[in-house]
Amino acid sequence: MEKAASHAEAQAVMQEMLGRLKQSHFAIIPATVYSVLDNEGEGPGTSGIDARVLDGHAVVTSVDPGSPAEKQGVRPGWQIERAHGIDLEPLITQARSNPAIHELQLTRAVLARLSGPIGGTLDAAFLDASGQTVNLRLNLTTPRGTLSAFGNLPAQHVWFESQRTGPIDQAAEYVRFNLFLDLPRVMASFQQAVESCKACDGLIIDLRGNPGGIGGMAMGMAGFLVDKPDQRLGTMYLRDSTLKFVVNPRANVYSGPVAVLVDGCSASTSEIFAGGLKDLGRARVFGTRTAAVALPSAFERLPNGDGFQYAVANYISEGGQPLERLGVAPDVVVELTRAALLAGHDAVVDAAMSWIRSQKKP
Amino acid sequence: MNRRVSILLLAVAGTGVTLVYGADPLPSAESILDRYVQVTGGKPAYEKRKTEIAHGTVDFPALGIKGSMTRYAAQPDKYYYTVDIAAIGKMESGVNGTVAWENSAILGPRIKSGVERAEAIREGNMNATVNWRKLYPKVENAGIEVIDGEECYKVIMTPDEGQPVIGYYQKKSGLQVKLSTVASTQMGDIPVEMIASDYKNFGGILEPAKVTQKAGPQEFTMTLDRVEVNPVIPPERFALPDEVRALVDKAAAK
Repeated sequence: MEKAASHAEAQAVMQEMLGRLKQSHFAIIPATVYSVLDNEGEGPGTSGIDARVLDGHAVVTSVDPGSPAEKQGVRPGWQIERAHGIDLEPLITQARSNPAIHELQLTRAVLARLSGPIGGTLDAAFLDASGQTVNLRLNLTTPRGTLSAFGNLPAQHVWFESQRTGPIDQAAEYVRFNLFLDLPRVMASFQQAVESCKACDGLIIDLRGNPGGIGGMAMGMAGFLVDKPDQRLGTMYLRDSTLKFVVNPRANVYSGPVAVLVDGCSASTSEIFAGGLKDLGRARVFGTRTAAVALPSAFERLPNGDGFQYAVANYISEGGQPLERLGVAPDVVVELTRAALLAGHDAVVDAAMSWIRSQKKP
Repeated sequence: MNRRVSILLLAVAGTGVTLVYGADPLPSAESILDRYVQVTGGKPAYEKRKTEIAHGTVDFPALGIKGSMTRYAAQPDKYYYTVDIAAIGKMESGVNGTVAWENSAILGPRIKSGVERAEAIREGNMNATVNWRKLYPKVENAGIEVIDGEECYKVIMTPDEGQPVIGYYQKKSGLQVKLSTVASTQMGDIPVEMIASDYKNFGGILEPAKVTQKAGPQEFTMTLDRVEVNPVIPPERFALPDEVRALVDKAAAK
């Protein structure tokens, strides 16, 4: 390190040292990549668009009901070409060139480009279903959900939805929430949704885009789905203690088929929940591999502007695999495609629903 | 690990006998524990207390989370303890003499078993302070350690079931200032260390008004604000909550 003549040489030495650990969550993030990921114009205001990077393009995957984007006709499957005057494709290409940048960070970088101050506007250019460019000025409003604070963490908007209509056949309960936070409300809503599903054919828990939150909530929610005593989702190994992620079966447990939907933006507690239920044989997982960031890890900015990421614990899912290196591999890999979204289909939900129907006893 | 646990663990001591230590040799563990009872109020004061309700706060500074706590206890072996934190919800635990349980907004209801149950039952013994001989058949003075500049006797107390509890008693005052053990929890065996300070007189008994506890990766401080002495506590207070009762019934039905 002392002999390094430049930042680049120092960076290479540090990468080499960390590489010897052969562990994920230990990385140097170059300052140049931070310039791609950081967005000075980022703010809490949203137009109601959720997006993912599909085949190298930012694509609208859902639009919040009643949001400015919905009111102005933005539809799932539209490709986002430009936001706030910035072309998104070069940004995506540059970020994807660094293997340390995973899908979660890339998606966050894209979504940050679509945000801004509440009360502001987003000038965006889309490609619609017919390939025509649509230029829109969208109002940026307060995000969906209830603003929830948890200790020193910044307050975040948390929403929970459950339904048996919309994209889902009425035979299954569909549950989705954006964060494992706002514990009293989200746990109560989850309980209510599961209990209302006593007679339904299946339960779909959609964790796509859910970056996690309070780890204990994964254990608590699993207690509504696992009836066998002395089960655990996995084990976390800290410097001076070992924590088993136990499941306490409730008095009334839902025993029907459970499908968990994940993608590369399902992280941390979402992975603990999905991976644990999969390992216990209690859920079938659909979608794409999760973010593989189930560990508590920290980022420090180094004096030269680089970032240093390091893990502070290890987590092994009940099946014996570390989530931090592998993430949760779905039982059934289903990728979103722009074509299906434009046709009004969520292929992952469709696959889960099809499986639930196949489990129905005659 | 909760306030009730810490209070009872901190209150592990014995019947009152006047003790005077010589410079050498080390006093017996029995005499140290008996002295703790004496300096915190004496056996009669403990035995006069049939019921109590303690009120206080809990503070997790690293997380930025605070909440309130209330602890109900009744002789000989009942307690109900509740911590309410807005961001997390209510966490309850209790012992009704036979069933040890807990119920939290995070993990849901459950019944404790094995070593964890044995520890909870010990903690549910309201007169644990004067009953230490019954609760810890083996006690040993393991020497002197300096804590915060004060010489302390290190007393190892071993129960019939569960891990030993190590108490540190100031040579000068006789007060317990530190306690360490390995707690049996459903998430695993977790090293616990508690630092007791700010002893105050709550209805004739000295108790630490401040206990800082490090349990595994978490550190928090419990502050005791007031204690109601011998209040009337309805028996229903120690009854099993519906969610826990449902688990008991479910287990019985199998």
